Amino acid sequence: MNNPQIEIQLIAAVVAIACAIPGVFLVLRKMALISDAISHAILPGIVIGFFITQDLNSPILILLAALTGVITVVLVEIIQKTKLVKEDTAIGLVFPALFSIGVILIAKNANDVHLDVDAVLLGELAFAPFDRLLISGMDMGPKSLWVMGVILIMTLALLVMFFKELKVSTFDTGLSSALGFSPIILHYGLMSVSSITVVGAFDAVGAILVVALMIAPAATAYLLTSDLKKMLGLSIGIGVFAAIAGYWLAHILDTSISGSMTTVLGLVFLLVYLFAPSKGLLSVLYRQKQQRIEVSLITFLLHLTNHSEENERHINHLNEHINWQKVRSKNVLNLALKNNMITIENKVVSLTNKGQEFTDLAIEYIITNRDENIEHMKDDFFLFRG
Amino acid sequence: MEEPKLAISVDDLTVAYNYKPVLWDIDLAVPEGVLMAIVGPNGAGKSTLIKAILGIIKPIAGSVAIYDKPYEKQRKLVAYVPQKGSVDWDFPTTAVDVVMMGTYGSLGWIKRPGQKEKKAALEALEKVGMLSFKNRQISQLSGGQQQRVFLARALVQNASIYFMDEPFQGVDATTEIAIINILKELRKAGKTVVVVHHDLQTVPEYFDWVTFLNVKKIATGPVKDIFNDDNLTKTYGINYKVAVNK
Repeated sequence: MNNPQIEIQLIAAVVAIACAIPGVFLVLRKMALISDAISHAILPGIVIGFFITQDLNSPILILLAALTGVITVVLVEIIQKTKLVKEDTAIGLVFPALFSIGVILIAKNANDVHLDVDAVLLGELAFAPFDRLLISGMDMGPKSLWVMGVILIMTLALLVMFFKELKVSTFDTGLSSALGFSPIILHYGLMSVSSITVVGAFDAVGAILVVALMIAPAATAYLLTSDLKKMLGLSIGIGVFAAIAGYWLAHILDTSISGSMTTVLGLVFLLVYLFAPSKGLLSVLYRQKQQRIEVSLITFLLHLTNHSEENERHINHLNEHINWQKVRSKNVLNLALKNNMITIENKVVSLTNKGQEFTDLAIEYIITNRDENIEHMKDDFFLFRG
Repeated sequence: MEEPKLAISVDDLTVAYNYKPVLWDIDLAVPEGVLMAIVGPNGAGKSTLIKAILGIIKPIAGSVAIYDKPYEKQRKLVAYVPQKGSVDWDFPTTAVDVVMMGTYGSLGWIKRPGQKEKKAALEALEKVGMLSFKNRQISQLSGGQQQRVFLARALVQNASIYFMDEPFQGVDATTEIAIINILKELRKAGKTVVVVHHDLQTVPEYFDWVTFLNVKKIATGPVKDIFNDDNLTKTYGINYKVAVNK
C-alpha cells in the first residue's frame, strides 16, 4: 500500500465513524429521512460558503452549510406544525427547494467556481489526498482527514458527555422534559452535529451516500443487539468495515470508492437482515414455524389429558382424528418425546408427570395471560415469550 | 388542627392546541398526602393537565406551584410516569436501564450513573416484583411488566409527589393490584400521588381524593364527599347512574 491509499482508507474510516454515531440516534428517533433532507439542503450553504472562502475545507464554510442543515429541520417543523401536511410531505417540500437553490447557484457561477453538481452529489474520495494541509510549508496530511478528524473528536466528546441525556430523550421525551433535560436542546444538538458531520463528509462521499453511511450501519446494528452501547459500537464497526472493504472493492473493480462503500453497506445489511440471530428474517420464520408446532403440541397434550381411552391415544389416531398431516404429527411427537412429556408403548401415547404439569401451566397461562409460573418454559418454547 | 400543606396548586391554568383550549381556567389545590384520581371523558385534558403541571406543555395562561415554588425549582420532588404507549418499547435497552433513567434527574447534566444508582434501580425493581427480569430487553416484557418497570423508574426518584398517566391501561389484574398497593404505601409514607384514571368503578376503592375534569374543572375534593352521580353526570354529560348500572 502506498501513502495515498492509506490516507484514503483512513479518511473513509473516520467519515464512517463520524456518520455512524449520530446515525444511531437518528434511526432510533425514526428520523432517518431527515438526514437525507439535511444532506441535500446543505448545498446552498456549501455554495455560498465556497463563494466566500474559496476553500471546501474551510471551517466557515462547514458552519455555514451546517446552519442550512439546521434551518432545514426548523422549516420542516414549522410546516408540519401547521398540521396542513404530514412530516414526510414537509420534508419532501423543504429539501428540494433548498437543494435547487444550490443547483442554480452552481450553474449560474459555473465558470468561476470549481464546484460541480456531480462532485457534490457523489464526492470523490480518490482526490482527497491531493488537498494537503500545509502549516508554514510543512505537509500535515490531507485536509479532509483533519476536518473529519476534528468533527469526529467533537462528536465523540459530545456523545460521552451527553450519552445519558440523549438516551433518555430518545426513549422517553416526556420524562426527559420532566427531569429537566430539554428535549428541544438535545434535538437541535443532535441536528447540529448531524449537519456538521454531513457537511464535513460530503466532500469525501457526496450528499447522497453520506445518508447511507449514517443510516445503514445503525439499521444493521439495530437488528443485531438490544443494547444501546453495543448498537453504537456495532454501527461504528460496520461503518469502518464497509469503508475499508469498499475501498478495496473499488480498487479491484476500478470504480467509485463511495459507491463501493455503500454497496458493501447494503450487502452487510442484507446479510444481517436475513441471518441476524433473533431479529433476522430466517430466525423470525423459524420461530413462527416452531410456534405452530408448539401450538400443536399443546393441543395434543390437552387431548391426552382429556382422553384416557387407549384408542384415543394411539399414534395413528393423531392423523385420523386430530386431522394432522403425517409430518406435523411426527414433529409434535418428537418435540414431546424430546422434552420427556410423553412415553410411547405399543404405539399408545401416555402423558408423563412432566407432560401433565407442562399442560396445566400452559393452559393456565393461555387462560389467565399471567406469566409468573411459566418463566422457566420461556427458554425452550417460543410460544411463551409473549 | 393544622391545615395540611398544599403539595400542588394550579392557578387559572389554560392550555390550548392551535388556539383550541383543551384546559380552561383550571384552579386546583391538592393537599399533601392524598392519593388522587383525575377522571373525565376522553379528550377532557387529563394527560394535558399533568403535562402542563410538569412543564412538558407550555400553558397560554396561569401558573403552577409545587410546594409553593415553580416546578422548575422543584423537579427533584416530583416523579412522572408517562403513558406506557408514549414510548417505543423496541428501544435497545433493558429493564434495569430504564429504571436507572429515574436517577438521571438527581444526577443532573453530564454526570453519569454509577454503582449507587444501579443499586437503587435494583431495589426499585424488587419493590415492584421485577428483579428477576432486570436484564430482560424491554420489548420482551408483557404490558403489565412494562408498566411495573415504569413504576419502578418513578420509585427510584424517591420523590414527594408522583404523577402517573393511566398506569392501569392494558395491565392484568395482578399488576393492577400490585400497583395500587404500592401507591397506597406511598400515601402511607406521606407522599402525594396523582393518577389519571379511567375505571370509575374502582375510584372509591383505590383513591381518597378525586378531581373531575372535562376541559374545565368540575369538582375536586375527598372521594367520600364529592364522588357522586351529580358530579359524574356533570363531567360525562350523561346520566351516570344509569350508565354505571348497565
